[in-house]
Amino acid sequence: MSQIRPCTYVWLILILLTFFAFVVGKLELGGITIIATILLSTLIKGQMVADYFMGLHRVRWKWKIIMYSWLLLVIGLIGFAYSLGLK
Amino acid sequence: MVNSISKSQPRSNLPGDFAIWIFIFAELLVFGIFFVAYAFARSYDVELFNASQSTLTREFGAINTIVLITSSYFVVRAVTAIKNDNSKICVNWLGAALFMGSIFLVIKMIEFYGKFSEGINMSTNTFYMFYLSLTFFHFMHVILGMVILTAILLKARQGGYSAKDHTGVETGASYWHMVDLVWIILFPLIYIIR
Amino acid sequence: MQYSSQAVAKPYFITAIALFAFQILFGLIIGLQYMLGDFLFPILPFGIAKIIHINLLIILILFGFMGASYYIVIEEAEQELHNPKLAIILFWIFLITSILSLLSYLFISYATLAKITGNYLQPTMGREFMEQPTIIKLSFVMVLGAFLYNIGMTIQKGRKTTINTILFTGLIGLTLLFLLTFYNSKNLVLDKFVWWWFVHLSFEALWLLIMVPLLAFVLLKLTNINREGIEKWLYLIIALVLLSGVISIGHHYFWIGAPEYWQWWGTIFSLIEPIPLLMITLFAFKILNSSRHQHPNKAARFWVLGTAVMAFLGAGVLGFLQSPAPLNYYTHGTQITVAHSHLAFYGTYVMIVLTMISYAMPLLQGRAANSKRSQKWEIWSFWLMNISMILMTLFIGAVGILQVYLQRFSETPLPFMMVQEKLIVFNWLREFTGVILLIGFVTYIISFFVAAKDMESIQKNS
Repeated sequence: MSQIRPCTYVWLILILLTFFAFVVGKLELGGITIIATILLSTLIKGQMVADYFMGLHRVRWKWKIIMYSWLLLVIGLIGFAYSLGLK
Repeated sequence: MVNSISKSQPRSNLPGDFAIWIFIFAELLVFGIFFVAYAFARSYDVELFNASQSTLTREFGAINTIVLITSSYFVVRAVTAIKNDNSKICVNWLGAALFMGSIFLVIKMIEFYGKFSEGINMSTNTFYMFYLSLTFFHFMHVILGMVILTAILLKARQGGYSAKDHTGVETGASYWHMVDLVWIILFPLIYIIR
Repeated sequence: MQYSSQAVAKPYFITAIALFAFQILFGLIIGLQYMLGDFLFPILPFGIAKIIHINLLIILILFGFMGASYYIVIEEAEQELHNPKLAIILFWIFLITSILSLLSYLFISYATLAKITGNYLQPTMGREFMEQPTIIKLSFVMVLGAFLYNIGMTIQKGRKTTINTILFTGLIGLTLLFLLTFYNSKNLVLDKFVWWWFVHLSFEALWLLIMVPLLAFVLLKLTNINREGIEKWLYLIIALVLLSGVISIGHHYFWIGAPEYWQWWGTIFSLIEPIPLLMITLFAFKILNSSRHQHPNKAARFWVLGTAVMAFLGAGVLGFLQSPAPLNYYTHGTQITVAHSHLAFYGTYVMIVLTMISYAMPLLQGRAANSKRSQKWEIWSFWLMNISMILMTLFIGAVGILQVYLQRFSETPLPFMMVQEKLIVFNWLREFTGVILLIGFVTYIISFFVAAKDMESIQKNS
């Protein structure tokens, strides 16, 4: 049991990505590249929570599809709306 | 890592009671619509949203994200514990998760108090309408999630779950992860993206 | 019929059917008045006919609910009714007061009615669904209270089941919400709020707590399946009904003086409202498909599935279509609302009453099901009534879309009366579907006489 569990790695990655987002926010950075990175990191975080915390990686595809498409759709639309407001 | 993933058998059903997943998907739908509505409302008035966003305390948002992620992690450990038939450790992890949940609530209340004492309310502007609605709506979910976790903790303490029968723990865990998942998107959306 | 006191349901069911007949008739009159404005004027102006049409609907549903509740509660509790005599007395009180109120709309001018019933003392009249004179409202509350007592005592004495618990909760909710009709603020905004609480929380939340157990009961009886499997689903459905129902009240706050954020709240939360209704439909199909049990009452099977589907279409889908604020901005108060409410009320509440009657009436007359010939008539009436209601809704919807476009959306909006003239074709079509509905209803009535005749011949032969 001295081995580090996979969920602990997941936790660590989630914390690091959150910290990254916080730094971006603190510097008040913007622009399509930065925001795309933030959204991508959010997508990864969401997918990790769904797969490893909720345990969806062991579940039949039809259930995973719902969660993945929710994540993709919501984050994708947020990105699309962001690009609309750029101008 | 590879080792423990390959160990777990592929299974067909969602973890926990299927009924909770109906709730989870319904909740995700509402939050999703709320998020997208925010994003599009923002695109109509970027300056207002950016200016109002600058008044938020990002530290609160970031700390709360870490708090919720950690709480979610504790719940994962609680589920692992009960799968190993260890009720006592399961209870401890659940207690830790609940403690993190209450830290989240306290920080959020400090944040709300700050905003309300500045005289900000739902009618101040569209940004604050979304900020207050979304965070309050999520706040209520944290409370509901904590109620569910508490009920599970109490049952687990009386030895109500075992390695064979732990659907209840998984049910509550799934709901709690949903609360976490929603916040993971809410945080960059409202506090960071500009 | 296992319990003799279940017979009290019979007069309630018969009355509900009779009231439905009058409701259809008054609907036809109103429909005609859209085209022929002075039809039956001054004996029966549009406004009065509409009050009667709507009041008949509410009273018919209440009769249906009460009859169904007596029938179900007794069987579920495995216990004779606490006081069958009281149920019959209440039936007569409710019938007489209802008829009195309906006749008074017909024969006394509404202003006079308000005056002689003392409306000036505690004004409660004059709002849609709440037109009844205060004294009639009071009698309704008394009837409902005594009814709850009778039902409650029966439940308390007998077997506790999920169906009875949910049903009783719904009936208490119905009664408590009815108390809101006594509130009438001089502040118009406040009045609108309370009016919507009554309307929305009744029709979109608590009445569904009555409809769902009724549906579940008939499903259980038709399939004979193990009830343990369905209880969790019942609780899940009603939890979703209550959550989505209560929170979505925001879609009525758009234009009545509430703060602007309600437009967001109302829009977003309304989007989950169809989910529980969809689940009811899936639930009904799942249960019926999971059992091989062949119940002789085929017609009831049609009704129960029909209710699930029509409730989803009428209440779920059509409501959903006009609850987003940007759409509702154009559609509120138009015929689009009328289209929605026709299919929602018929599909959810009238049909659950008809379902219950279809299942229980043969049993109340001492047979498991009506003769095959009678069921054939009933299934015909099922299709006629449902198809005519769907077509009616579509035509009213077409009227509504045209109305919204010509009167509100167009760059050069037309005045109300000019728009009405352009809608005449669709209004005729709508009236035509009303006639089909009437034919369907007559077919329905015939099925009862066929059933009685076939029963007689069987008894003679034996």
